[in-house]
Amino acid sequence: MKFLHKISLRLRVHVTVVMLLLLMLISSVIAVYHLSKKRIMENAQKQMEVFLENISQIIALNTNGTLDYTAYNAIKPVFNRPAFYTSDYPFLVDYSGNLLIHLYKEGQKYPPELLNQMISNPDKAGFFDTREYRNNRSETCRIYYRKTDGLKAYIGISVCKSEVTKGLTTTTLMLLALFLACVLIAILLTSIVLSPVLRAVKSISKSLTRMERGEIPPAIPYGNDDEIGRIVRPLNAVIEGIDRVTIFANEIGNNKLDNSFTPLGPNDKLGITLLNLKNYLKDKLAEEEKRKVEDERRIWVNTGLAKFSDILRQNNADLQLLSDSIVQNLVNYLDANQGGLFLLNDDKNDEPHLELVSSFAFNRKKAKKKTILIGEGLVGNCVVEKHSVYLKEIPEDYIEITSGLGDSPPRSLLIVPLKLEDNVFGVVEIASFHEFLPHHIEFVEKIGESIASTLSAVKNSIRTNELLDQSQQQREAMLAQEEEMRQNMEEMQATQEEMARKTLEMEGVTSAINESLLYGELDEHGIFIAVNTNLQNSLGYSKQEFDGKTLFEYIHPNDLPIIQSVWGEIKTGVPFKGTIQWRARQQENIFILCNITPSFDEYGNLYKAFLLGQDITQSKLLELKAQQQAEKIEQNLLEIQFEQEQLQQREEEMKSLLMALDTTCLVAEVTPDGRITFINNKNVETLGDSKEQIEGKFHHEIDFQARTQPEKYKAFWNDILNGIPKQREFSLNVKGRTIWISEFYTPIRDSGGAVVKIIIIGFDITQSKEVEQRLAQRIEELMKMLNR
Amino acid sequence: MVVTDQDLINFVVALKGSSNYDLSEYSDKSLKRRLQKVLADFNVDMAGLISSVKNYPVFAENIVKEITVNTTELFRDPPVWHMLRSRILPRFKNNSTINIWHAGCSTGQEVYSMMILLNELGMLDKAKIFASDINTDVLETAKKGVYKYRFNIGYLDNFDKVIKQNPLNYEEFNDVPYEKYFDIDKVKDVITMKKNLSEKPIFRKHDLVQDGNLFFAKFDLILCRNVIIYFNYSLQNKVFELFHSNLYTKGVLLLGMHETILGPWAAKFEKLGQAYIKK
Repeated sequence: MKFLHKISLRLRVHVTVVMLLLLMLISSVIAVYHLSKKRIMENAQKQMEVFLENISQIIALNTNGTLDYTAYNAIKPVFNRPAFYTSDYPFLVDYSGNLLIHLYKEGQKYPPELLNQMISNPDKAGFFDTREYRNNRSETCRIYYRKTDGLKAYIGISVCKSEVTKGLTTTTLMLLALFLACVLIAILLTSIVLSPVLRAVKSISKSLTRMERGEIPPAIPYGNDDEIGRIVRPLNAVIEGIDRVTIFANEIGNNKLDNSFTPLGPNDKLGITLLNLKNYLKDKLAEEEKRKVEDERRIWVNTGLAKFSDILRQNNADLQLLSDSIVQNLVNYLDANQGGLFLLNDDKNDEPHLELVSSFAFNRKKAKKKTILIGEGLVGNCVVEKHSVYLKEIPEDYIEITSGLGDSPPRSLLIVPLKLEDNVFGVVEIASFHEFLPHHIEFVEKIGESIASTLSAVKNSIRTNELLDQSQQQREAMLAQEEEMRQNMEEMQATQEEMARKTLEMEGVTSAINESLLYGELDEHGIFIAVNTNLQNSLGYSKQEFDGKTLFEYIHPNDLPIIQSVWGEIKTGVPFKGTIQWRARQQENIFILCNITPSFDEYGNLYKAFLLGQDITQSKLLELKAQQQAEKIEQNLLEIQFEQEQLQQREEEMKSLLMALDTTCLVAEVTPDGRITFINNKNVETLGDSKEQIEGKFHHEIDFQARTQPEKYKAFWNDILNGIPKQREFSLNVKGRTIWISEFYTPIRDSGGAVVKIIIIGFDITQSKEVEQRLAQRIEELMKMLNR
Repeated sequence: MVVTDQDLINFVVALKGSSNYDLSEYSDKSLKRRLQKVLADFNVDMAGLISSVKNYPVFAENIVKEITVNTTELFRDPPVWHMLRSRILPRFKNNSTINIWHAGCSTGQEVYSMMILLNELGMLDKAKIFASDINTDVLETAKKGVYKYRFNIGYLDNFDKVIKQNPLNYEEFNDVPYEKYFDIDKVKDVITMKKNLSEKPIFRKHDLVQDGNLFFAKFDLILCRNVIIYFNYSLQNKVFELFHSNLYTKGVLLLGMHETILGPWAAKFEKLGQAYIKK
């Protein structure tokens, strides 16, 4: 019976139904069969009784108590045909058991046991069952009998039972068919009626199976409010609940903790637990968040500190670079907008102050100056207070942030002192459009310490370097200075030597002047301060007579106007030189070649004028004469030159003129290559060399300058060869006497312009030259020396 | 170490042999002292020095640099500059150009002083400045126009005396800032002449003994201060001749405070303080 547990509900229902029907069928079949059989038998008995009665009557009618032939014939046909069925032929048997009439057994004896039953029956009619062979088969047959009324015999009829119940089988078969139809209909009906239920059950089963595996099945669609419905609805609710819880749990898993969740019921343990878990996680998350922010801030601060420790380590040789880097990075790191770094300057002895050493987008309106005194303004105060200042409301016009978008005031301002162990090294000022958070401020303060310490170190190192540099420089400078000092010494020494030499020279010059020249010193008004004996003697006055007297009082009236006018020039620094006629005691005309030279102090004021002179009264006369002569010669020369020009065209005339000149002038002719071709008699007469000695020689062989100054001579000669007439003076000794000659070199050109000949014409100017040159040069030189 | 006359002659001969320099007419006493100094500095004896001079022309060149004396200052001897300002330079006021030669300019301070003064007188534009020295090292310094500050702090005094004050009128005060002409960097300890000044002069190496006139020009003003004191009388006269022949008539030769022209060339000049005016 185990398999019964396994078969499906549907099968079970069907089996039950079929069994039930089968049971009904069997019972009904049995009932119907027996009832029908009984009734058929009863009907057959009645029919047979009626049939037999009919036959008996027939017999009675045809027989008179005996069975004769006629009677037999008469009744015989009735026995030749079956009564109701196929084999139920009637027969007639007498009491003795002879079959009187029988279809095929006439004359035979009827089995006695059967006859006995008939005879033993008191009733006229009856029946009994016996077994007969029919169609080679033993079959149960019922034999109905009746006593005949007219004969002493029994009419009988044997009816085979199977023939009688033959219709009953057909009925049974019909019944079976009916049953089958009923079964089919029953199964169909049950199927139709049961199918939704079964489906629901199947779904439930499926769902539960999936649930068993941990899946969440979809809701079961079942709308009927029956028993199944009452199962499905809670089940669906459970599924939905699980679904919701799952989603919720999922959300928790995905960290979505803000979605609300209602437990399925007040006792929904899972839901409530999840809700608790959610709240717990939410709290945790909030906590985590808080910790994260704190962590981030800490990391930010630490990263910043590390970054700045890097920055501070670099560039720490250059304060400016370092400051720039600090300000820029600080502003960037704080996401601020501008910043400035002030350093405390206490280098000098004057009041310590803050200097803006570096700035970033800085535009201090109020304090454009770069220095701030201690205690001045917010920044200056910060140094005094040694605490950070954080302002969210900034005084108007305090600072502005300059950017491409225009100037706008910052929202917050942070001023932090850079202090190290209570010593403030400077101040950092940062302005921003954002507000500064506490950890920002804390960060800047921490950085401030680092900056302060670095700055202090850098300052020290820079100072040390400076000192080192300075000492190095000083050492080098010392060396350079030593060399310079030595050079200065050398210069001074050389100067001293030069001066000593000069002094020596000057002493000689001074004594020479005193010995040979007239000498006097004049003040700015021309009053004599000093007069030497030569001058006294020349003019014939005593020294006392010069005291307090002016120069002008001793000048001859002829020359007084000249001196008076010249005095003004002398006072402005123009020295005077010239021959002046003086008033002497004895002599009316005394000529002195004078040189009056002013001497000025360093401010250009005249403090003395020196008068130097030479009495040239005698030579003056000669000089005048010589001058007259020179004028004459000059005139002659012009004439000669004029005539020379003519001579170029007319050689004949020139020759005759030369002849004329021959008597007064020294004449020589020289070829362009310098060979002397002709000298005249005057030349021989004056210079003492004979024609034979000179002619044929080269000019440079005998020329004094050619020997002593060949360069100059060459230039001189080249000029002549280039057609430039030259003039020169020279002196030479002739028989122990110095003779001065003025020579005119005249190049003679041919028609083509080439120099073919040079004519030299000389004049003896010995007399005038001697007088003029000697005196003039001496006086001049001495004047100069006196002036030192 | 004592340098004898013979040592000196040997050295001069050796130097003449291995270079272009002829120190034979330099002042004996001065040259001896310089040689003594050189011997001490180089830690050699006379024979070693002479052989080095003979063998290494570069060394010879350096020795000449060591021997020459390069003392100069900005506005050295302010009275001289006063005279230049009030008496000499005004003479050229109407010239279209003024040629000035600083012979022996040393490290150039005198050149810059002259340019500053000329600028104050409004004459710098028409001035042509030539400067020369025998020592190329000092010429380089002169071209740069950068001088020590602290050691030469007296420059500023001199500047004040010459440019700001007027000795003829104590009430006059021209507040000319230093920055107009040079920058002072106290940290670096330098005075730096302005570029427009340091670019103007033509600096050339020049040996007064034998180089003649290097600039192919005649001059209105030649400054040769504290140079001839190292020369003997004969060389002095040669130098005077050189100057005389390269000055315009009425051109001015300015010598050092204690230098004077004596002898034949004195007559060719008219003396005006330190200045000699060509007749």
